[in-house]
Amino acid sequence: MSPVLGRLRPRGLRPRLVVAFVLVTVLGAAAAAWAGAGSAATALVDGAQERITGEVADRVGAAAPELAYPPDQDALDRLRRDVGPNTLVTYEDMRSADGTGPRLVTDALRGAVRERDRITVQRVAADGRPWLLVGVPLMITAPDGGRTPSGIEVYAVRDLSGVQDQVDALTRAAAGASALALVPAVLLALLAARGVLRPVRDLRDTARRLASGDLGARTAPQGADELAELTATVNEMAESVQTSMAGMERMRADARRFASDVSHELRTPLSTLTAVVEVLATASDRMEPDDRESVGLAVTETRRLVRLVEDLMEVSRFDAGSVRLRVEEFDAVGAVRDCLRARGWLDRVELEGVEGITLRADRRRLDVVVANLVGNALRHGEPPVRVRVTATPDEVRIEVTDDGPGLPEEVRPHVFDRFYKADTARARTPGSGLGLAIAAENARLHGGGITAENAGGGGARFVLRLPRDPGGQEKQEEGS
Amino acid sequence: MAAILLIEDDPLVRRGLQLALSRHGHGVGAADTGERGLRELESAAYELVVLDLMLPGISGLEVCRRIRASGGVPVIMLTARGDDFDIVSGLEAGADDYVVKPARPTVLDARIRAVLRRSTPSDGLRVHRDLSIDTSALTVTLHGEPVALTPTELRLLLTLSRAPGRVFSRQQLLEEVWEHDYLGDSRLVDNCVQRLRAKIEARPSAPEYVQTVRGFGYRFGPV
Amino acid sequence: MRPAQAVRARSAARVPLGLCALVAAALLSSGCGLHPTGPTDGGRAPTGVAPGMTLYFVDGDGELKAQQRESGRLGSVSDAVSLLLTGPGPTSGLRTEIAPVPTTRVAVTTAPDVLTVVVPLSVDEVTPQGIDQIVCTALGAHVQQGGSTGTKVQVRFTLGTAESEEHRTCPLIG
Repeated sequence: MSPVLGRLRPRGLRPRLVVAFVLVTVLGAAAAAWAGAGSAATALVDGAQERITGEVADRVGAAAPELAYPPDQDALDRLRRDVGPNTLVTYEDMRSADGTGPRLVTDALRGAVRERDRITVQRVAADGRPWLLVGVPLMITAPDGGRTPSGIEVYAVRDLSGVQDQVDALTRAAAGASALALVPAVLLALLAARGVLRPVRDLRDTARRLASGDLGARTAPQGADELAELTATVNEMAESVQTSMAGMERMRADARRFASDVSHELRTPLSTLTAVVEVLATASDRMEPDDRESVGLAVTETRRLVRLVEDLMEVSRFDAGSVRLRVEEFDAVGAVRDCLRARGWLDRVELEGVEGITLRADRRRLDVVVANLVGNALRHGEPPVRVRVTATPDEVRIEVTDDGPGLPEEVRPHVFDRFYKADTARARTPGSGLGLAIAAENARLHGGGITAENAGGGGARFVLRLPRDPGGQEKQEEGS
Repeated sequence: MAAILLIEDDPLVRRGLQLALSRHGHGVGAADTGERGLRELESAAYELVVLDLMLPGISGLEVCRRIRASGGVPVIMLTARGDDFDIVSGLEAGADDYVVKPARPTVLDARIRAVLRRSTPSDGLRVHRDLSIDTSALTVTLHGEPVALTPTELRLLLTLSRAPGRVFSRQQLLEEVWEHDYLGDSRLVDNCVQRLRAKIEARPSAPEYVQTVRGFGYRFGPV
Repeated sequence: MRPAQAVRARSAARVPLGLCALVAAALLSSGCGLHPTGPTDGGRAPTGVAPGMTLYFVDGDGELKAQQRESGRLGSVSDAVSLLLTGPGPTSGLRTEIAPVPTTRVAVTTAPDVLTVVVPLSVDEVTPQGIDQIVCTALGAHVQQGGSTGTKVQVRFTLGTAESEEHRTCPLIG
């Protein structure tokens, strides 16, 4: 297909339907009009030819009895005049011609006239107009009815332009009739297209709703055609997707509840453990070195277990959506410094940033985020660990960078995954494996986020962005 | 060092905390239900109650309310971390402080000592309109009538009235009254202020003595 | 659906459109114009020329016999009958069964199957064979002009007579 035709091909379903419908309708109308016009034209032409032929034959017949035979030149001229203008009369070597018509008489016609001894007609075109040639052999009839050719031949040439005009008028009328069919055809096509396209559009809307997550979306099938079957099939598909999604949702909810229940249950024995390992620790001074080390390990591991259970419960609360922000206004740099001081990190971490950057946020949760990011940098990176606090009118940025090897490409997308361990050799670091996940959840809860990237110098850089006012979901609590 | 009643239903946790707190020098009595705990409290002179909120029978909250109604024995509750509903309910029921489970005995001991310090006397008498505060006898009278305050409420009133007109942030009050070193729960302050107002203000909704400074904290009036 | 089938289905869908366009083009171009033709039949040729007239007289044996008169043209039926009335001429060896009359004016009217010849004679002035002479001469001229040999001839005489209503045929023709 040529590029032009390709470009002209209609794209939408509606234009294609309309074009096909209109084409078929107009073709039908045109065929009918053409057939009618064709037979009418044939009748018209045949009638005109018969009339002309009959007239010529009648004139020849009427003149014949008074015609001298064998004719002389004078007789031939008289006969020619009786027949009319544009006529040729021949007898043996004699001829009598009038007008420009006789030069159109063909040898084929003359041969046919002589051979058949019957009137013969032929249509020719000349000067851009159609002509009718009528060849008439004049016969001699004996009194008993026997016929022999007289040798006199009359050729009349007649203009058919008038007939041509009539035929053209018929053709125009047929074309007009076909064109008239165009308007109702387009209207009918639009109606038909609408009938077909409405269910298609309904189906498309349903598919969009399904795609955007509304798994309850259905289309009521109408009728019993292929579209109705398609609709029913889509409905079945949506049904099965909805069922399996509901099942998966139930399984995920079960898993979340299980994690939450497990952490709650662990808390009771951990309470006892926490209490008694401290009792043991206070007594460890009097123990053998091996016993003392064992007690120390028990204390460390118990604290780690406590931390893990606490983080697990925090994650469970995020999953359950039961976490609420307690927003208050405070100084960002001050809060970060408090966080570092409370954990004894001030001498290991460089803090950069001007006082006076106010931030509306949940201070305890910001503390958790900063502690997790800095703790992560201290564990996995190399010193110096830097914390930089900057601000725009809309948001506060807290950057935590280290001088370590940075984040390998394959690790970067997973650093905020739960229990993701980049390196099995580091599996025994004191983190719970949930710290960055919890930090990310807290940032999201504030309407902000954390990104992990590699700094220019090669170390890892975590950037926390928080809006300066998260919309004030919860007002600062007041005394009255 | 102090006589403490531990109300905790789980026998192993109860025994573990008892052992640990004893090691810190406290005399620890124990009860496994709220009913037994309240009875024990009547029969012996305890200086402080450590209360688990999750109890069979009458709930820890109810136990806390009854202790508060009957007198001024301070209460420290044991609660699940971040379970805001428990914490808010406990503070509203009149708890002086809370410690998150699993509680480290050293942390619990520090809180116990802080609460107990609040009943330590100083000297002098402060009179503000109808309210007079005796800082040596640790008594408060309104229109000449004595007002029963818990040690925490008293400590809060003493701290605020030490500098009338000065604004204390919640963080400052947490550090001074509750001795929380860092990121204390400001709801402790707000709840305590509400209880204090209920006892000393004529109209708690339009306070005269303990005034709110929006966005900052509280100050002592009138100025 | 496999790709190959998809391609085939698409090209198949394209066929009707192309076909429609072709049909439309053919219809439009063929039209109903007048095109040149070869020689075709146009019907029976006219007739009517002859070197002279054919008249019927009676020979020595009493039989009807045709006589050619070199008039140079065929002429009309009435011309032929009028000439018949003038007689066979002295040198022909033929005689006529029609009495000589002072006028030879003859009127001929033509109906589809009947040729009516009005003669300036009474029925007494001709014998039956004379009537045959008139009938054969009129019918012969009629046939030579292209008329049918089965045409009946009605000879109307002066003075009323039943013979005038007779539809006759020529014993020599048809």
